[in-house]
Amino acid sequence: MASTEKTARPRVAVAKFASCDGCQLTLLNLEEQLIEIVSRYDIVEFPEATSRHQPGPYDVVFVEGSISAPEHLEQIKALRKQARLLVTIGACATSGGIQALRNWADHDAFRAAVYEHPEWIESLAMTTPVSEHVKVDAELRGCPIDGGQLLEVLTAVLVGRRPQIREEAVCRECKRKGIVCLVVARGEACMGPMTAAGCGALCPSYGRGCYGCFGARTGVNARAWSEAMQAAGRPPEEVWRLFAGFTAYSEPFRPIITELGKAK
Amino acid sequence: MISDSIPRPASAARQLFLARSDFDALIGALRASGRTVIGPTIRDGAIVYDEIESAAMLPAGMGDEQSAGRYRLTDRGDGLLFGYTVGPTSWKRFTFPPQLNIAEARRAGGVAFDQPPVEVPQLAFLGVRACEIAALAVQDRVFLGGQFTDEDFRARRKAALVVAVQCTTYSSTCFCSSMGTGPAVRGGYDILLTEIEDGFVVQVGSPSGAAIVTQLPTRKPTHAETGAAIDSVEAVRAGLGEPLPMAGVDERLKQQLENPHWGVVADRCVECGNCTMACPTCFCTASVERSDMEGRLSVTERVWDSCFDVNFARVAGGDFRGRPRDRYRQWLTHKFSSWMDQFGSFGCVGCGRCIAWCPVAIDVREELEAIAPVVPPVERPVAVEPAAASPGAFSLARLASVKEETVDTTTLTLMDLDPAFLAARPGQFVMVALPGFPTVPISISRIGTTSIELSIRAVGATSTALTSLHPGSRLGLRGPLGTFWPIEDAYGRHAVVVAGGVGLAPLRGLVEALIASRDRFESVTLYYGARTPEDRLFRDDLARWTTIKAIDVAVTVDRAGVDWKGRVGVVTALFDMMTQDCSRVTAYVVGPERMMQASVQSLIAKGVPPDRICVSMERHMECGIGLCGHCQTGRFFVCKDGPVFRLSELGDLYVREGL
Repeated sequence: MASTEKTARPRVAVAKFASCDGCQLTLLNLEEQLIEIVSRYDIVEFPEATSRHQPGPYDVVFVEGSISAPEHLEQIKALRKQARLLVTIGACATSGGIQALRNWADHDAFRAAVYEHPEWIESLAMTTPVSEHVKVDAELRGCPIDGGQLLEVLTAVLVGRRPQIREEAVCRECKRKGIVCLVVARGEACMGPMTAAGCGALCPSYGRGCYGCFGARTGVNARAWSEAMQAAGRPPEEVWRLFAGFTAYSEPFRPIITELGKAK
Repeated sequence: MISDSIPRPASAARQLFLARSDFDALIGALRASGRTVIGPTIRDGAIVYDEIESAAMLPAGMGDEQSAGRYRLTDRGDGLLFGYTVGPTSWKRFTFPPQLNIAEARRAGGVAFDQPPVEVPQLAFLGVRACEIAALAVQDRVFLGGQFTDEDFRARRKAALVVAVQCTTYSSTCFCSSMGTGPAVRGGYDILLTEIEDGFVVQVGSPSGAAIVTQLPTRKPTHAETGAAIDSVEAVRAGLGEPLPMAGVDERLKQQLENPHWGVVADRCVECGNCTMACPTCFCTASVERSDMEGRLSVTERVWDSCFDVNFARVAGGDFRGRPRDRYRQWLTHKFSSWMDQFGSFGCVGCGRCIAWCPVAIDVREELEAIAPVVPPVERPVAVEPAAASPGAFSLARLASVKEETVDTTTLTLMDLDPAFLAARPGQFVMVALPGFPTVPISISRIGTTSIELSIRAVGATSTALTSLHPGSRLGLRGPLGTFWPIEDAYGRHAVVVAGGVGLAPLRGLVEALIASRDRFESVTLYYGARTPEDRLFRDDLARWTTIKAIDVAVTVDRAGVDWKGRVGVVTALFDMMTQDCSRVTAYVVGPERMMQASVQSLIAKGVPPDRICVSMERHMECGIGLCGHCQTGRFFVCKDGPVFRLSELGDLYVREGL
């Protein structure tokens, strides 16, 4: 490829904070589109794929993971300065991830319980989503993210439009697919009404209630769902467990988890 | 509601009988005609509509049990193939698919927009119920009834043969008879089946239906069989019970756009949109662009959308329906009100899917009842025919007991009455005669089963004489007379009673009546002002009303000693405590003239509509029956046209001096 063409391609970086790397792998899993992606984008920084490192500025930075350690605080700000578009990917980056359950626990006690030398561990008492620290241009939800949505972001950036990611409940995907509601017909626990769509109702398609890994929809009425599940006979502890999952620290869920945690 | 009993067939020859054991012949004939048969089958704990290849796939012997937020399959213990009510699928899935590519745009040299050709499958819908036929007709009006049409829908609709089935069972969520859509199928089918013990009574509704039915091993049904078919549908109608009062609900909802109950239901709603997805008539869609990375091909995908989406009414500058209550109101008022304006029918067919499939168990019927209840017409019921209704005539009553209320006010309990007095309504009055004294009008302060009470302030000769009577005395009565408080006006609203001094007497019966039917009112409040704590009437009643939950009571006095712990000041000062939505208040006001005027002014200033403010006027009366002329005020005789008036009736008569 001619070098002029190379410089015309948008430069993409993938960065990670506290996370499992699963969301980054979603990019590699887009096998059929990979050739197309690398011919249109210059992927200059991607620790999961290459040991090559190139400095910014970058056109698009995909950020995985939550802000969890003291050094993350400076790193995310530096990254933001290098990024034209900063896109957070996955439950950790967008809502704090499963590790945000520690936000309701005694951080020092946790460290002491796990590590032989807790004094060697530098971590923040609270783990938080990236958006609490820097401006985020787009979010991809999920644990892990959906490949189709990632491709939509990559496509939208090239075309120059907003990614068409719909803010609707998982229920809507169930209904369009003709999946019988697990809550109504079987009395199953399900976080679908609370949860942002995008996965294609993956768990309900296999007869399992939604785990809520895509997280709370913006401004969702979490209290109503908590009360409805309790009215249906679920003990507060079980309802707490349903909210206190991959996206526990998403804003609508926080007060519910705090209240039910006390009731527990 | 429209009467929809099944028309009895002119002759049984138009009906046929198909044995249940031969049902595969029907499915076979439909398939042989080149159609894919879509019908009921069990999947994931529910009866859904999906492809049917043989009768063995039908839910034989299975039923369902449905309530708000709950659906369970049941084993009926019989062999009925259609012994269930409607499930999660609606036929719109096949006439109006959840996802459909509607356009393709290409960029190759120039720009080209193409519509994919309309290619639809030939389908046979097996087991379409009355409400579902109505739903298809509703979408016909939406998609095909106006200037712009949906040709994909038209093609799918045309390519679908409708094999309807009469409902022979119903769920708690069903309300077709309320919406006038069922339970009986009245048309809109190619073939109609009614399932009875051993098979089906078959009716043909179109040439396409006839072409199928002629291939089936049918016979003429017996009278018992056609009778059983009619009876089974009639049993469903009876089981559904009294239809809900849907007539006029569209207009009633228009009056309730600011009802606080929208907020109450929004607090329960999780905005999943399942009601709109399950609804067989909801037709909103979104367009989603799917482009390739090169930007050469872009496909527009149409997907079912929902007005519960936070972005549904958003524009660049903001969101027109930003609050959940706005979105719930949009859905409910569209279904039951503005749909009527747009398409000439309700957008609801009473199938109950939105109730059963709501995960938080919101029942649209209950919400309608809470938001837009039927208010009885405002014409006043006719009062009882009064006793002794001519000048000079009086009916005797015995004074049973005397109770001093205050230093100058006494309550007389009267017994041995003409029954007319016991049928009096709160707000009415009687003319009271004592030999040797002028006749005076006295309001009735309590209407009992064997007695009435008159509370009299000793201000003139007659009233002083009356309050000095001993039990056992006889006195003359004419009445009950005049208009009474329109209690029903406050149904579904906030009832506010405002009394000043002895004005509590004509309101006491009203307060008791409001408490007695408390459920019909949003709230009931009494504001009472007296000169001093000692001048308060009915202190036992006040004490009781203060302790019960049914009514909120606030009392103020003009002046008080140190013992008084309550409010001091004029009664209008109590209105500061009003937190009700004043546009939804009905007020009842009695007291001294100046207190009434001040109260009325301040209620209007707070936003209480003048036609919702009722006052009782005091005027000089000698006959009480519109003949003596004393009480004439403008076009009214206060005795017979009043004493209870709506402020709007009085107009400027009320505030003008010297009338």
